[in-house]
Amino acid sequence: MFILLGLLALAMGAGFIGALSGLGGGVFIVPALLIFAHIPMGVAVGASMISVVATSAGASVAFVRDGWTNLRVAMALECATVTGAVTGAYLAGIVPTWVLELLFALMMLQSAYFTVTKIGDSILPHSDALAERLKLGGRIPAESGNQEIEYGVVNVPGGAILMVVAGLMSGLLGIGSGALKVMAMDYVMHLPLKVSSATSNFMIGVTAGAGALVFLARGDVATVIATPVALGVTAGALAGGRLLPHVNVQSLRIMFVAILVLIAVEMGWRALSGF
Amino acid sequence: MDTVTTDEERILRVWTPIILRTILVGAVVILLFGLLSIMWQDPGYYVMRFHSLQSHVRYQNRKNLAALASTAFKGDPRSIMTLGLMVLTLVPLVRVAFCFVLFVKERDGIYVAFTAYVLIGLVAGVILGRVG
Repeated sequence: MFILLGLLALAMGAGFIGALSGLGGGVFIVPALLIFAHIPMGVAVGASMISVVATSAGASVAFVRDGWTNLRVAMALECATVTGAVTGAYLAGIVPTWVLELLFALMMLQSAYFTVTKIGDSILPHSDALAERLKLGGRIPAESGNQEIEYGVVNVPGGAILMVVAGLMSGLLGIGSGALKVMAMDYVMHLPLKVSSATSNFMIGVTAGAGALVFLARGDVATVIATPVALGVTAGALAGGRLLPHVNVQSLRIMFVAILVLIAVEMGWRALSGF
Repeated sequence: MDTVTTDEERILRVWTPIILRTILVGAVVILLFGLLSIMWQDPGYYVMRFHSLQSHVRYQNRKNLAALASTAFKGDPRSIMTLGLMVLTLVPLVRVAFCFVLFVKERDGIYVAFTAYVLIGLVAGVILGRVG
């Protein structure tokens, strides 16, 4: 009973911090399971991937309803992330653990960088030729009044390449790779930040779902771990989401970065020790 | 630039949230039921399994869907939990299927192809997992 309660508490904490930081529970639950519950990497990755599906499903319902999700961008890029995720999840059964730990450390550093350099909101009035052909542009509500602003999209191939990497990391490490996805859409394709975040949230569930299906079909999901983790992370994410409008996230940013860097150091150390 | 059509509006903003939420709640109920069952029926198994996982004991849990459903309906907590996890992974699958229907209705060939590719990718993941 204590083990189960401990796992639930760990997962709730990861989901809570994941929701407050905007990075999702996956980046916190995998190291939490490794460090505190002494669970092997492969088991932690399988459990985390399921929890990413659960939290993304809950969160993206609201975003889709609000109309911020750009469905065409999501579907065009999902071709890249699903390819990466299925490949990554397949490779996760083959790749040595120290490589996974090293990749995890690098992803933590990327998430830390993303957290400190929150991107400016650039809105392009026109799409480039390929994005125009794919009808990727859209409209968002203007900050004042009932008017809408049109936005354009550029550099789809560049965004797609980063999305393959995001999918690969998701499949290998059991994380949503949300920070990488938002960076690809915002930095490379110049989508408005809120559209990038909502579209990324929509995509995370599908990407993690692709990886989770490989893990489930292979029989590599330990239900005794994955079930409390999925339930706990979802509950923690819900609580974090409720609290989010009432806290000053800017002031917590240094703490999130410190946690991410500490996790990166720990994972990097594990990788080098296991090499 | 493309505006949101009435069909897109109805499918995205009305039906998708309702169905996704129903599947999500269903999965959570199944998972909770499975977890409570295992703690009620066989708490020793849970502890033993947890410690064997910590000791890197191979944990593959590979049953076909018919066998899994059959044991779940007989009340086996592990099968119930696996079934709950499978229902959970249906959420993204259903979401993509909705988009596929949406683009078919809009006769948008490129996006029908994109969503079909994603759906095939998800199914390919299952096949790859079974053979891998």
